[in-house]
Amino acid sequence: MILVVSTCADKLSEEEFVKPIVGIAGKCDVKHYTNVKDVSGYDKIIICGTALKDNEYLKNINGFLFLKETISPVLGICSGMQILCLLYGARITENKEIGMTKIKTLRENPLFSGNFEAYSLHGNGVDNLNEFYVLAESEESVQAVKHKKKNLCGIMFHPEVRNEKIIRNFLDFA
Amino acid sequence: MRLAGLFSGGKDSAYAIYRAMQLHEIASLITIKSKNPESYMFHTPNTGITQLQAEAAGLPLIVAETEGKKEAELADLKEAVKKAVELFRIEGVVTGAIGSVYQAARIQKICDELGLWCFNPLWQLDQLQLLDDLLKNKFEVIIVGVAAYPFDESWLGKRLDRKAVKELAGLKEKYKINPAGEGGEFESFVLSAPFFRKKINVKKSSARFSGNHGVFEIKEAELE
Repeated sequence: MILVVSTCADKLSEEEFVKPIVGIAGKCDVKHYTNVKDVSGYDKIIICGTALKDNEYLKNINGFLFLKETISPVLGICSGMQILCLLYGARITENKEIGMTKIKTLRENPLFSGNFEAYSLHGNGVDNLNEFYVLAESEESVQAVKHKKKNLCGIMFHPEVRNEKIIRNFLDFA
Repeated sequence: MRLAGLFSGGKDSAYAIYRAMQLHEIASLITIKSKNPESYMFHTPNTGITQLQAEAAGLPLIVAETEGKKEAELADLKEAVKKAVELFRIEGVVTGAIGSVYQAARIQKICDELGLWCFNPLWQLDQLQLLDDLLKNKFEVIIVGVAAYPFDESWLGKRLDRKAVKELAGLKEKYKINPAGEGGEFESFVLSAPFFRKKINVKKSSARFSGNHGVFEIKEAELE
């Protein structure tokens, strides 16, 4: 079973950031992070993004400690990537990108390859990524990472918009 | 939260506003009247009648006119949103964007510059699902503009009922059109919505059609 986790402080944002992921993932459980207790029964976990104005998740990082315990593959999207990186020693920086962005793959991975365009919607970036490999970047920032030892991937852009295949690849191959 | 709904008078903006109303207060509607029928950002037919729709919904309306030039129309939208902040103390905006990253990114930028929340409750929604949701929620919608083959003049003024939705699903299969008109294939106008207290009755209209383009213009309408 797949677990889709909402990081949205406002329920209305879930229509925009969680529902499209559920539409791609198909049969799955959907929970807000404040309601996630035990994730041991899930094969894959996706942490969804949230609204540009929403930084509430950064104040509640301890609510995501279940991500340190799981052995299942995790994909963090936008705020989800920021959370994964924060849990493993990274720092949040200011980095705003809105709209279609050129992405360059730096390291071979099962999710995507080559150069492509993707939809970005974030006000934060990440640095101090010693525990991660950088998989992709834009001109401005790091766009995708994988933890060096664990099966945890983060993507800063929104693959549910115009790059749905990345989510399917995560579900099929990660 | 107090929100302003960007309101063209068509089905997508009306349904997005309805969805937002389930969780937040809609304090105002905003209509941008573009003089450019080919506007990149805004739906154009019958935007003059949104005042009547706002009255039907019992909501205040801010109307801003724009020449409809590519980036200048964004400045006009920003001014209108600013006015909603000043007049109605809104904290966010709701839009009916479904798949256009061009529209969505630009509205996101305007909200970000003004420190507002931006909600797009129909984002990436399946278009046949959207049409079905409209019928289930008893929206009364007519087609007021067509701009692509195989839409002909028989579509102008047509009611978006179960039969029309079935036809649109068939056109999607056959011609790969966007069944909810997301690609600009057609424009719609809402006569009645669950948040309207009264219905719009079209008393006088005219239809023009040539090539693959047609407009159904509402000349006179009243609340009933």
